[in-house]
Amino acid sequence: MTGRVDPAQTLAYVDDCLDPEARSDFETQLRLNPELRREVAQWESQNRAIRAAFGAPSRSAPDLGSASNENAVRRPDEAAHPADGGARPFGQPRNRRAPAPAPSNAKSSAAGPGLAARRVVGAVALAAAIVWIGLPTLEPRPPAALLEAGASAARALADLPVEFVAGDPAAIAQRLGPRLALAPPLTPGLRLVGARLTPGWQATATLYLYEDPRGARVSLMIEPLDEIDAAPARRSDVDGLSVAAWTGAGYGFVAAARDGANVAALVAAAGADESLAADVARRP
Amino acid sequence: MPLVREWCDDAGALRRFGLALVRDDRFVFDDVAACALIDKLFRQASLTLVDSPGADRRAARVRAFAQFVRLYRRHARRLAIDEDGGWVETPPSSRGCGSAAVGVRSLPLELREALLLVTLAGFTHREAAEALDLPLAVVVDRLLRARTRLGAHMAASRDAVAAWPQSAHLRIVK
Repeated sequence: MTGRVDPAQTLAYVDDCLDPEARSDFETQLRLNPELRREVAQWESQNRAIRAAFGAPSRSAPDLGSASNENAVRRPDEAAHPADGGARPFGQPRNRRAPAPAPSNAKSSAAGPGLAARRVVGAVALAAAIVWIGLPTLEPRPPAALLEAGASAARALADLPVEFVAGDPAAIAQRLGPRLALAPPLTPGLRLVGARLTPGWQATATLYLYEDPRGARVSLMIEPLDEIDAAPARRSDVDGLSVAAWTGAGYGFVAAARDGANVAALVAAAGADESLAADVARRP
Repeated sequence: MPLVREWCDDAGALRRFGLALVRDDRFVFDDVAACALIDKLFRQASLTLVDSPGADRRAARVRAFAQFVRLYRRHARRLAIDEDGGWVETPPSSRGCGSAAVGVRSLPLELREALLLVTLAGFTHREAAEALDLPLAVVVDRLLRARTRLGAHMAASRDAVAAWPQSAHLRIVK
């Protein structure tokens, strides 16, 4: 089928305005019509470019294969094969020079067995190192700098008087304004004392302060981060503070306290990571 | 808490939409004024939920964006009248922006607002038509025109970047 498709329908498909039935019909046409596929790819690329240009979170997982830095100047050989003809699959390397021919003199051939032995030893050493350190995890992790910023804020400000005194989360949120107005979680066993403004990792953040029944302070830093992927909680000990950081819904969160159980309670109340909450609770 | 979080998401979306749409600094002076405006629009829009029990959060969101669009249109009209029709929006600056941002900002207001509502704010075509107070067919037509112009701009920008090494004339200074 190569007949002309109504542009309004193509537009509705790209902007996700078709009902499921019409969408599947359109996808059938899309499979059969390369020109239509090109048009759809171009408009979808426009959507991604606009959302990226104005800082909107992506609607889908980032397509690293087709990402390009439009400020970079391409080499002439790359310019001759622009990426718009087809997205470069993730993992496929960029154009490179042809490898230099292997030297064929007597010296290199004589060094052959020694080189092979070194390669074997290197591979064994690498495998041993991986086993020793542990295989790298592909799970998303909150940025270490966010955790550091939350720990610094807790160290410097947690024991000072609060700037916004309120036991009512909605009242605090109302005072802090729309960008910072994320109501803190109500945590069993912890009393919300108030909030302070604090420098975060990249922007101004809110530091909510709680007190446990013994009067020990627990802090929760909430920083608005426009482009951040959700990541489960990650725990660390920084200078005697038990700290947990996680991200989600366009915010970065850092809970910190001297008592790990209080951090665990806060993490559990925020619903960030139940397994981590249990792990933190087990620690002294 | 979920309601507050959704409200923050909507406010962030309106803020991004405003930054992309507005090309005249006199509309909103600074960040504090922008926050106050967005806050007020969402408070007004949330009254929809109180007044009509059937309305959902989506309706309040459309209403807030529609009010923002109306305010900026009114601002543009007023300036045009004050300056005897000679007012045009400030040309977009290309400094520090990618070609997509410059391309969007160089579109006329009526094309820009339709395109940004759909692509940036995530409105459906019907919701965009409702927010812009226009028939659906007009919105679709504007979206097609906006995409055509933006595609041409981005292609020209890519060609310019690719041709840069040949077209640059560097003078040798001894």
